[in-house]
Amino acid sequence: MKLNKSLLSSSEFIVFLGLVAVGAFFAFTSPVFLTKFNLLNILLQSSIQGIIAIGMTFVILTAGIDLSVGSVVALSGVLMALMLHGGVPVWAVILINLAFGVAVGVFHGFSITKIGMAPFIVTLATMAMARGLTMVFSDGKTIFDFPPAFEFFGAGQIGPISVAVIIFLLYALLAEVVLRSTVLGRNIYAVGSNIKAAALSGIRTHWVLYFVYVVSGVSCAIAGLVLTGRLGAAMPTAAMGYELDAIAAVIIGGASLMGGKGTIVGTIIGVLLIGVINNGMNLLNVPPFWQSFLKGAVIFLAVMIDSLKNRPSEV
Amino acid sequence: MKPTPVLETLNLTKVFPGVVALDDVSLSLFPGEVLGLVGENGAGKSTLMKLIGGVYPPTRGRIRYKGEEVQFRSPKDALDAGISIVYQELNLIPHLSVAENIFINRLPRRGTFVNWARLYRDTERILEESGMSGIDPRAIVGELPIGVKQSVEIAKALSYDAQVLLLDEPTSSLTGPEIDNLFSVIRKLQERGIGIVYVSHHLDEIFEVTDRVHVLRDGKTVEVMDTASASEETLVARMVGRDLEDIYYKGEHQPGEVALEARGIGDELLDDVSFKVRRREVVGIYGLLGSGRTELLKSIVGARPRRKGEVFVHGKKVRFGHPQEAARAGVIYSSEDRKGENLFFGQPIWKNETYLALQIGRYTRFGFTQTAEERRDAEVYSRKLGVKAPSIDVDVYHLSGGNQQKVCLAKALINDPDVVLLDEPTRGIDVGAKLEIYKLIAELADQGKAVVFVSSELPEIIGCADRVYTMAGGRITAELTGDDINEENVLRYCLQTTTPGVAAS
Repeated sequence: MKLNKSLLSSSEFIVFLGLVAVGAFFAFTSPVFLTKFNLLNILLQSSIQGIIAIGMTFVILTAGIDLSVGSVVALSGVLMALMLHGGVPVWAVILINLAFGVAVGVFHGFSITKIGMAPFIVTLATMAMARGLTMVFSDGKTIFDFPPAFEFFGAGQIGPISVAVIIFLLYALLAEVVLRSTVLGRNIYAVGSNIKAAALSGIRTHWVLYFVYVVSGVSCAIAGLVLTGRLGAAMPTAAMGYELDAIAAVIIGGASLMGGKGTIVGTIIGVLLIGVINNGMNLLNVPPFWQSFLKGAVIFLAVMIDSLKNRPSEV
Repeated sequence: MKPTPVLETLNLTKVFPGVVALDDVSLSLFPGEVLGLVGENGAGKSTLMKLIGGVYPPTRGRIRYKGEEVQFRSPKDALDAGISIVYQELNLIPHLSVAENIFINRLPRRGTFVNWARLYRDTERILEESGMSGIDPRAIVGELPIGVKQSVEIAKALSYDAQVLLLDEPTSSLTGPEIDNLFSVIRKLQERGIGIVYVSHHLDEIFEVTDRVHVLRDGKTVEVMDTASASEETLVARMVGRDLEDIYYKGEHQPGEVALEARGIGDELLDDVSFKVRRREVVGIYGLLGSGRTELLKSIVGARPRRKGEVFVHGKKVRFGHPQEAARAGVIYSSEDRKGENLFFGQPIWKNETYLALQIGRYTRFGFTQTAEERRDAEVYSRKLGVKAPSIDVDVYHLSGGNQQKVCLAKALINDPDVVLLDEPTRGIDVGAKLEIYKLIAELADQGKAVVFVSSELPEIIGCADRVYTMAGGRITAELTGDDINEENVLRYCLQTTTPGVAAS
């Protein structure tokens, strides 16, 4: 009973109710919405956002932010495209791409911990730099034509399920285990909750910060792999604005920008909520300008409900 | 014939739930007089100041100002009447000018706009009247030295046409020359007939600047004397001197071999500090805020960079670069700042209690947490330390200060450390919880642990410690043992060199 009570009042559950409500609305208004094809499509479309949002969850749990994710996804795509065209084997391309994600995270971690720069500023700078490099390397042009083994990660199917969805779900499971059941995960919450107390409790706070930004960088590299494979093309303008959707998903899922609060389950529900809204509005032929407005309104509502619930009494 | 007091309190009493903070205190302040107000922490000094300043109303008693009875409903009432308080912490806005700070909430205007010419003129007048004509009204406060800021704060207080000025520990952040400067300002104000209440821990200052001294202890007036007729010894004896035997107790332990030793620790705040603590021993470190006691403990466990000095644990030289390394070696520091540096608000009791242990590999298998074991031990330690909460799943945020402190102690002790460094473990908690913690400290030593107990409260240090170091200005000023541990000694040694600036030499 007690467990149920805490479950029912959790942020995740409230957002889940929101997801069900929005889903029910679209199910009634659009005949296509509840079809298996469409639901799988929503999952597929959410998988790239989801992978990025998982990385963002780690960062936000430490009271940080990573604005560079969209640009890093695009840069990862272009780098892989150029390597493939240069004759590098697919497995090596993927490994180098993951190493690239690690490098981005290490750069962020170094700037934040050793230099003492604010995460917002560091990643704002990387956002612009990565996008700029994407344009430089691609000469502003879309790059096509990759080996099938590469496109498999974005466009392949295993049975009825897309490989992209499988990657997303496995990645989410791994992230959930790390956050829930490891010392590292516990330390991530501690750093976000009170970084001074964390250090005095023997937590290597710098390592923790390095780790979360590396997770975010690697998440972008994976998302870059999936996105490029799915589109069959590396576009310099890919993943524009993804950082805001990822942050929105994490916050909708019950995380706090102040750190120390949030879960992977919440983030996934947040991602699905955004995915369902995008999909449903397309099905209902809502004009794109209104789509943007409505999506913003839903984000506002979701966060408002959570904030009202946790409204501080005083001080 | 004696002049009429500018300010009088008659049988002033303030009762907070469960505590009589001020008990029947009658005080008088004459125009042009500096009255020293002294007493230990918790003697009722700040309560008295706040009653006079209108921060809260008295439970009983009256306040008479310029011969008439007054009732201030807010600090603003008192301020408007001419009673200004300068608090220990400065309340200036760093990026505004001196003039703007002084007239912050009543800038002179011309129509909608600020009348800058008048603002600066008025400021210059106020500064000159207070003997601070050297200060430029246009200077940005944040760029001024701390001593000048203090003067600006006083000028701000005086700008309300103050007849009574209450100064709460005004020298706590000043250096020697700045203190001299403050004293000359005080004397100028005296000549203008302003009555000044001067609260300080530093007896040397009391002797230098006050005319009379009003001594408080446990919320009551102990004595009022002319400064000229008082000596440091009599003053200290009046401030302390109560029966402590029942409250505190030292355990049965006999100190064993040295468990932790620090030699020549030094940096910008600490000056060649050496001390040691033995197994089965409680060592007290007594020092006021800013004496370097917290910095010392943090330097030892590697929570702040150490420039000079060596640390030995069980005779072996160690160099902890991080509190985690210290914890592995069995040395644990528990911060005084429960909310800011010790606990994780928003997280349950059990997680708070096991954080330190997790870092050194307890309750983990291949990096995975063993939640069941964690919860079991958290349950055990919470019960052992008497944490009062419905369950260990309660968010520590909801606990009282005393219970939060017990969680902090559980967090330190769950690792079964050899050396515990407790920084002000009784700060801001109720008497009952304090007693439990005194008892626990004695038990820890009985069990064979080396305990360092930092406090700024005299009686508890004297009551609990087997050996006492006094700290002031970043250095150890005395080591006291046996019968030498008494209030007079401890206070004398910690006041002796509290004049800031000494540490630098």
